[in-house]
Amino acid sequence: MANDFDFTLIAKVLPILLQYLPVTLEILVFATIFGMLLGIVITIPKLLHIPILKQIITVYISFIRGTPILVQLFLVFYGIPALLKLVHIDVTRMDAMYFVIITYSLSNAASFAEIFRAAILTVDRGQMEAAYSVGLSGIQAFLRIVLPQAIRVAFPNMTNTMISSLKDTSLAFSIGVMDMVGRGETLIASTTRALEIYLALSIVYYVIVILLEKVLKRNERYLNRYMPKEAASS
Amino acid sequence: MTIDIAFIFEALKEISKVLPLTLFMAVTPVLLGTLIGIIVAFVRIQQTKFLAPLLNFYVSFFRGTPIIMHIMLVYFGIPIVVDIIASALKLEFQSSSIPILVFVILALTLSAGAYASEIIRSGILSVPKGQLEAAYAVGLTFSQAMRRYILPQAFSKSIPNFTNVFIGFLHATSLAFFLSVKELTGVANIVASINLKFLEAFIAVGLIYWGVSAIVEWLAHRIEKRVTAYSKGGI
Repeated sequence: MANDFDFTLIAKVLPILLQYLPVTLEILVFATIFGMLLGIVITIPKLLHIPILKQIITVYISFIRGTPILVQLFLVFYGIPALLKLVHIDVTRMDAMYFVIITYSLSNAASFAEIFRAAILTVDRGQMEAAYSVGLSGIQAFLRIVLPQAIRVAFPNMTNTMISSLKDTSLAFSIGVMDMVGRGETLIASTTRALEIYLALSIVYYVIVILLEKVLKRNERYLNRYMPKEAASS
Repeated sequence: MTIDIAFIFEALKEISKVLPLTLFMAVTPVLLGTLIGIIVAFVRIQQTKFLAPLLNFYVSFFRGTPIIMHIMLVYFGIPIVVDIIASALKLEFQSSSIPILVFVILALTLSAGAYASEIIRSGILSVPKGQLEAAYAVGLTFSQAMRRYILPQAFSKSIPNFTNVFIGFLHATSLAFFLSVKELTGVANIVASINLKFLEAFIAVGLIYWGVSAIVEWLAHRIEKRVTAYSKGGI
């Protein structure tokens, strides 16, 4: 490795890496949307205490929280083709991108499910009773009274999940997805300058995380607009 | 390809041999990171000139970039610095003689320091200001008040957060696999490649991580119960 550090190389590779930013954001957006939908679905049995389903979901959440995302990525990458082979569907030629989105969605779903459950449980029971007393049905009371309050509580945690999910996308290259890091790896192979390229990648990640944080903070303030001042600032 | 259940057990035995190394790689950064975190948290709370903005950047940078980047930056960056220093001091020291594990632990420590400092800061800020004033009123100095009243409360409140950080870093050790360190994931990959049984090996390593995380969570829960036993009631 050469000892001279080349600053101009960072400026040179940044535009190349940024071309692959949409891939990273695509993973993030799909994983967040599917993660939320699946998260909502698996929260319901836990909230309603449906036997067996509830236990299965508890084990699922505990497994996702208990294993590194890298291992989950490999499990999906090798596991889904093996599972589908049992029903004679061959997916070994499927784009690695799908496996990445599946993994991050499954992983996000576990986090979102826990966040949603905790948020719904923080809403006072009296709110539901009050809603019934003015003649709302169960679903109306949930959608109009409980849910808006729960979202307000859940939002900061959802923000954290999204940001850590964005950082986790940096591992997608390990199963062969051509995202920013994947492109970075090929640039390292062609320039043999790893430090500069990893530095450029870090700068890109840092800037996106800060931008994402800013946008989400603004939404959080919007959700808190009916709260008293001191509570809203927390 | 069908799943070979017997091989999962075989792989479990083989992979769990390196569990001590993985635990070492997770415990050391979290302990050292906590020390860094305490110092950083104090500087940021006291808003020391020049140092505080610098450390603010340190914390936000390390929290804002993926841990794999920290590992790679340390692994490729530190040798250059070491070689420059060594040649300036005319030392017979080559950066290539440093084991990879040192870089990984250094990177994880820096990363853990940033996460720990945020936890400690929020822990300290969560202790009511009146506690410090009360300690001053009975004649304690700042450091006495911190050591005897504020920090114990701050730490007992941050146990769940520290548990999450520890489990997070236990999982982050899996990234050392990219530098071909022989920790759990690295060995799983070797076992998988030799026997061409990838799924089984990764199921095995997943079970190990899961088991360790579950034990850590259970232990933390017990410690938390004991530490916060005096503060029942209230809310």
